Formats: sequence, C-alpha cells, structure tokens
Amino acid sequence: MKKIEEYAEQISRCSHCSYCQASCPVFMEDIVESVLPRNRIEVILRSVIDKSMPLSPRALEIIDRCLLCTNCTQGCSSQVPIDDIVIAARSAISMQTGGLSGVKNLVMGKMLRQRGLTALMGKAGAMVQKVGIATKDMPPLAAKTFDKFYSGTVKAEGETRGRVAYFVGCGTNFMYPDTGVATVNVLSRNGIEVIIPEGQVCCGIPSIAEGDFKSAREMIEVNVSIFSDLEVDAIVTDCTSCGMMFKEKFTKVLETADPLQEKISNLTSRVWEVTDFLNHLGLREIPGPMDSSFTYHVPCHRAWSPTVRHAPRQILTQIPGAEFRELENPERCCGAAGAFYMAHRELSEGIRAHRVQDIKDNGADLVVTQCPVCRFYIGSALKEQGTEIVHPMIMLARAYGFNGC
Amino acid sequence: MKSLHQDLIRLLSDKQVLTQPEDLMAYASDATYYYASRVPDAVVLPVTSEEVARVMKYAYEKEIPVTPRGAGSGLAGGCTPINGGIVLDMKRMNRLLEIDHDNMTAEVEAGLVHRQFTRAVERQGLFYPPDPQSAAVCTLGGNIATRAGGPRGVKYGTTGNYVLGTEVVLADGSIIKTGGKMVKQSSGYDITHLIAGSEGTLGIITRANLRLLTLPPVNNTMVISCSSLDQAAELVSAIIASGTVPAMLEFLIKLAIMVMNNYITPPLPLDYEAYLLVDVDGTARQVQEDTKKIKDICQDLGIPDLRIIEDPHEAASYWEARSKLYPLMLSIMKRVITEDITVPRNRIPDFVRGVQAIAADIAIQIGLAGHSGDGNMHPTILQPEINDEINAKAKQAIDRIIRIGLDLGGTISGEHGIGLHKQEYLEWEFGRTQVELMKRIKTAFDPKGLLNPGKIWLEGGDAE
Repeated sequence: MKKIEEYAEQISRCSHCSYCQASCPVFMEDIVESVLPRNRIEVILRSVIDKSMPLSPRALEIIDRCLLCTNCTQGCSSQVPIDDIVIAARSAISMQTGGLSGVKNLVMGKMLRQRGLTALMGKAGAMVQKVGIATKDMPPLAAKTFDKFYSGTVKAEGETRGRVAYFVGCGTNFMYPDTGVATVNVLSRNGIEVIIPEGQVCCGIPSIAEGDFKSAREMIEVNVSIFSDLEVDAIVTDCTSCGMMFKEKFTKVLETADPLQEKISNLTSRVWEVTDFLNHLGLREIPGPMDSSFTYHVPCHRAWSPTVRHAPRQILTQIPGAEFRELENPERCCGAAGAFYMAHRELSEGIRAHRVQDIKDNGADLVVTQCPVCRFYIGSALKEQGTEIVHPMIMLARAYGFNGC
Repeated sequence: MKSLHQDLIRLLSDKQVLTQPEDLMAYASDATYYYASRVPDAVVLPVTSEEVARVMKYAYEKEIPVTPRGAGSGLAGGCTPINGGIVLDMKRMNRLLEIDHDNMTAEVEAGLVHRQFTRAVERQGLFYPPDPQSAAVCTLGGNIATRAGGPRGVKYGTTGNYVLGTEVVLADGSIIKTGGKMVKQSSGYDITHLIAGSEGTLGIITRANLRLLTLPPVNNTMVISCSSLDQAAELVSAIIASGTVPAMLEFLIKLAIMVMNNYITPPLPLDYEAYLLVDVDGTARQVQEDTKKIKDICQDLGIPDLRIIEDPHEAASYWEARSKLYPLMLSIMKRVITEDITVPRNRIPDFVRGVQAIAADIAIQIGLAGHSGDGNMHPTILQPEINDEINAKAKQAIDRIIRIGLDLGGTISGEHGIGLHKQEYLEWEFGRTQVELMKRIKTAFDPKGLLNPGKIWLEGGDAE
C-alpha cells in the first residue's frame, strides 16, 4: 500500500475551491469547515505527515468523522484521492496507537475472516451491547445464512448464455440472504450459470475503513486465490462496496511488489455489480407485470463502474407496470457507511433524516438499492410508514414470480 | 485567547465557538490561499441575527476585527482574516424564509446556499438568474457582498440587480432593515445597494429580499467553434450588436475545453482554437428566432462550426463543466490566477488582442475564458510552476492586463470583488477623490475600522 507520506504531493494539489461543501454529507450536517474534506486532508498533512501539528484529540476526531462515502473524491476537480488519504492516515494512526478496540477487532477481524461462525456473531452482539450500542442499531441477523441456501454450482435454465462466479458479501450472507437467493434465481432464469465458491470471506472493506491493512490483506489473499483462477465470464457481487473493494481497493491495499498484484489485475477487469452485469447482457425474457411504483437510492460506492448507477433504472423499468419515480438527490448518502453509524449515532441519524424525507416526498411503494447497509439503515427508519427497501434483484425476482424473496 | 473563547461561549453557546487550531486553520483564507492566509483567533457560528448582533456589540467594545464568511469560495481574498480576530461563519443561517409568489420575491438568510435556493425557486416555476459558477456551494450573503454574477449576466445582470432589501448588523451591534420587497424604492439614500458589494466592510448581511422572475419555458444550448480567438471575439461583438440577447455567451479557448472534457459527455473534439458556449432562453418562438439569428451571423462571418446540443443531459454537462473550469485548470497547472476585468462589449476584440500580445511579450501563458456576452472576460494567468521568476512575470502581466482593460473603458472587477487581490488597482479605476469618498463612507459605517479590515483599498479602513 501507499504510505501516508506518499500522499503529501496529492494533498498539495487541493485547489481550496471548497466545492466539496456540496458533496460531503458530514459537512452538510455539521456545517462547519473543520470537517470539510479540504480541511481533513490538511489536518492529515500537518498532524500525520509533516507533524507540524500534534495529533490532538480534535485532529483524530476530524479524521474519524469521515464516512469514506467517496463523494468528495468523485466530485474533486483536482482529482485528489481523498478517501484513500483518509484510509492511509487511519492506518498510520492505528499503527502508532496500537490498533483497534476489542469489539471492533472481534467483529472486523475474526468474524469476517471466518465465515459460518454465527455463534461468534451473537457473542459480538452481546459485547457490542455491553459497550453501550443499542440493539436497534445492530443489523438484523438472518436465521439461516446464505451459505446454507446455496453453494457450488447452480445451472442455467434453458440455453446457457454465460457463466459467473458469485462473490457473496457479508451483508447478503449474514443479513439479507434473500438478496442472494434472488440473485441466483434471476441469473439462472436469464441463462447464466452461477458458481458460488466455498471458502470465500469478507472483501475486507470494513478493515480498511479502520486502517487495518493486515487483516484486509489476509482476506484479499483468500478471495483472490479462490476467484482469480476460475474460468468464468464475470465475477459478480450484489454489493457496490464489495465491488469497489475488488475493483479499486485491492491493488491499493497491497504493496506494489506484492506477488498477489498480478492475480488481482487479472481479476479486476471481470468484476461486476450483478444488476449492472445483467443489464449489460440484457434480460432474456421480460418479467411478469408488477403494479407498483419504485424509486432508487444510489449507493455512494458507485464510481468504480460508470454504468452501475443506471442499471437498476434501466433493468427494472422493463417490468411491465412498474413505474419509476426519480428521487430528489438520488445520490445523497444515507449516513450509515458500514459501522460508522454505530460510533456517530447523532450525525448519521441527521444525515439519514434527509434521505428518509426525500423518500417520503417521493411516495413510491418500493425503494431499491444495491447496498445492504443502506438497505438496513434506511429501512429501519422506513418501518413506521411501511415502505419496503430491497435489492434490485429482489424486485426483479418477484416480477419473475419467485416467492420467498 | 482563552478569555475570548469564554466570552464568546457566554454570548452564544459552547458548540458555536471554535478556537482549536485544527478548526481555525479551516478558516484562514478563501480559495486564494496562496495569496494570503492567516488563522483567525476564533470562529463563531451564529444561527440568528440577534446572535450576530451580540457578537458585534462585544467585538465593538473590545475592538476585535470581525470578518464575515460565506462558503469561502471567493477568488479575491475577500474573507481572508488578514488581521485575525473573529470569523463569523454565516452558513448556519441558511433558512429560506419565504417565496412570495404574489410579489415575485423571496426572503432568505445570508448563509443559504445559492443552489438550494434556486432549486426551491425553480420548483415553483420561478427564476433567480444570477449564477456564480460556485453556485453549488456559495452563499447568497456572499453573493450580495461581492455582487456576484456569472454567465447569465449578459441578459439578466448580476446579484446587485436582484437585491431589493437587506437586514444588516452594524459595527456596534444594532440591526437595520434596508429596502424591502417593493420593486420601486425612492426614499432616502439607497443603503441596500451600498451594502451590496461592500464585501463585509460596512456591516454583516444577515437577511435579504430578492427579486424573482418567471422561469423561461424553453432554452437551447449551442457550441460554436471558431478558427481563432480574434474570430470568436468578433463574433461576440457581432451577436451583441445584432440585438440578440443570449441568456449566456461564454468564451472558451481550446485548453479550457480540453479540461472541461472531463465532464462533457460526449467530449467535444478539440479541432479549433476558440469556442463560444451559448444559451438562448424564452418562449419557444423567441428561442427559435434567436437561434436562427445567431446561425445567420455565424454564416456571414464564415464561422466553421455551430452545433446545437439537443440532448438536455449533454447540454447540462457543458454547463456543469463550465462551472468547474477554475478548479479543473488547477488539475493541470500549479497556480491559476483568475482576473475578472469587464470591458464594454464592443471592445472585446481589442481586449482579446491586447491580452494575447501581453502573453507573447512577457512569455507567459494566459488563458481566456469569460462571460464574454456581458464583457466580463476572465484572463487567467496559468502557472505550470511556482517560482520567483514566473511569479514576477504573472504580476507584470496582471498589471498590464488591468491597464488595458481600464484604457478600453472597463472595470477591474465584474463579479469577484476587490478583496485583497485588486486593492492596489482601485485607484487606477476610481482616482484618488473617489477612493477617499469610499473611505469616508466606510468610516461612517465603521468608525473603529473593525469590519473586515484591510480590504478593498491598500491603506486600511480609515479616511485620511
């Protein structure tokens, strides 16, 4: 990985135009320029890189108060990789200060590295409760994880049009196996053979958000060894954050000379978000009619594919009777950002309130989004009004008549 | 400074006062950080006019400088707190108080972000034309303080033309209301329009009444390719002289299009030296007529190419790219100094020729991208490197460009304000007598010289 010191030049490229005021959800909530990406990287430069200022509690807070949503990076005319800089700074800081807290280490490290340890998940939950995080903040855990539904190969229905390997993210495996079931069935119905390799682990993005590159590398190694040699047309994921991790961050996490780099470069060109992949290929058969309106919350981790943000709109409007209603600010962050919302409850709830208001104003029957954390976090605020939020593949699966998802 | 912190907390609240270095450094300058910067002693985040008044009363008693700040996206150093003191960050005063459809006016708080305001207005079929290119972030208070404008200046004028009234906190903490929502006002001195453009030196703008128009139903964007800068400049003058008034008429050199192509989809081929990006708006019939007129003029002048951008997404991508031109230039240059000289529109060809001659003479790269329709050209010094030699050349170029602009009957700033950057040229434009008059006005408003001191003219706030 690039050391934080190597980013000094890129930080100096910031033009101070301050246009990141229009993209940073944290700034828009706090309305104070201290947390503006422009200042956050300046704080990193002075307190982590050239050390002209001490790494004070306030500096740590400013570095910590970032969702890693990447909206600033996407909008930055000077092309400063702001999220990479924050990640590298967090890594440098965690090395200085001795790593993660116990709970985070348990969740980020052990649990996500070892799939199927549902008991451990419960244990983590209990510990999280002990340190004061309310249970309503915890994502729902599925009674039966996705890996209990499917593994191995699921044949295509009818003539085979293609063959994909399915990377199942933690969100789908532990929280929302319905997304996985829908994905497998919709792909199969569309003539695509789906391989669900055993032994896959977390993509590692929760670890890099904490600056824990060591754990991330272990996970990358496992996943790369599983996926890089498969003879498939594409590696699909239903999660935009896992996709970003595979496509953009794998190579950045590792040292340039890391022997895994070559395998990664073979792998990244074949990574697709599943809705995007299917839209690219085209539906084989138009699904059945569905008399409902829907809207689309675009996840923040979208910039790794130029078409991923269009795919749900294009594919789901092919369902006869489904009426698409564009959200106000469709790309507005929901405030969840992995586990960020647990540590910054008030901030995240403030950010979420705007998103929820947009959805209420929109009035669609159903919201779709590809991110499981957005689904959980927005969904828990939508419960009262009864609006459902699901992955686009679930909406599509229902239109094809699959029940149970 | 501990007592300052405690005093301010007593006046407002704990969460509205910042004095830690990691916070203060965020407020040390506007977008021209390279020109001047200084961390303030405290940043205050008021949410009501009364809070602003309390801070001003305190600062007046203690004789502490106060610099008001909107988004800090300015290009003249206007909100850079060069004398330290208190920065008043106005962005939390961001309420849209009223859209009065019957009177075609709105009332806003000073910290409301321009784009949030225009979106709300346009949802009701109304129109607030001033369009500074930093609209995504800049505040209406900052716009009024600088009389900000943008491409639409050619047809609709700039912020100053839309301000009907203000609420202002004076230096001693008293609050006054100027003007109102009437479109006709003829009583007393026009304090409203003295405050507009005062760059925080006369009072703190806390609220404003703004005038609205009806949203034009139809518009049409086109790109005109020209074989030379001179040809493009001649075309601008010809369009204006023909009586056609485009909503926007932007002058862009090839280099500008090159960086804008990061956002333009699909990118525009770089086959020509200069381009005009034009928008006409109004009723369908008017748009059709204006488009035809511009086409005819292009034909008469032998302009190589005119493309109408039919797809609204593609057209929007041009205007978005245009709004990001300044930071985009910085992605290929180490430093970009944007001037905003405005000349009478029939003198644009002379100005363009003059700037090119200066660039050749001094051997420095000068970009030209301007809201040419209103005569507001942005000659932009492009520095691939930062060193003493090139900095000196840049200074020399700016001096000469300003001299040419003034000789052609122009003004040194069309929309950015004077701030720190242009203060040495103020007397060139106005002469000593008028600058002295300005200083006496300043003294009348701010006898202790505490409001954004050190701006607009060189010597500071006091009349001599």
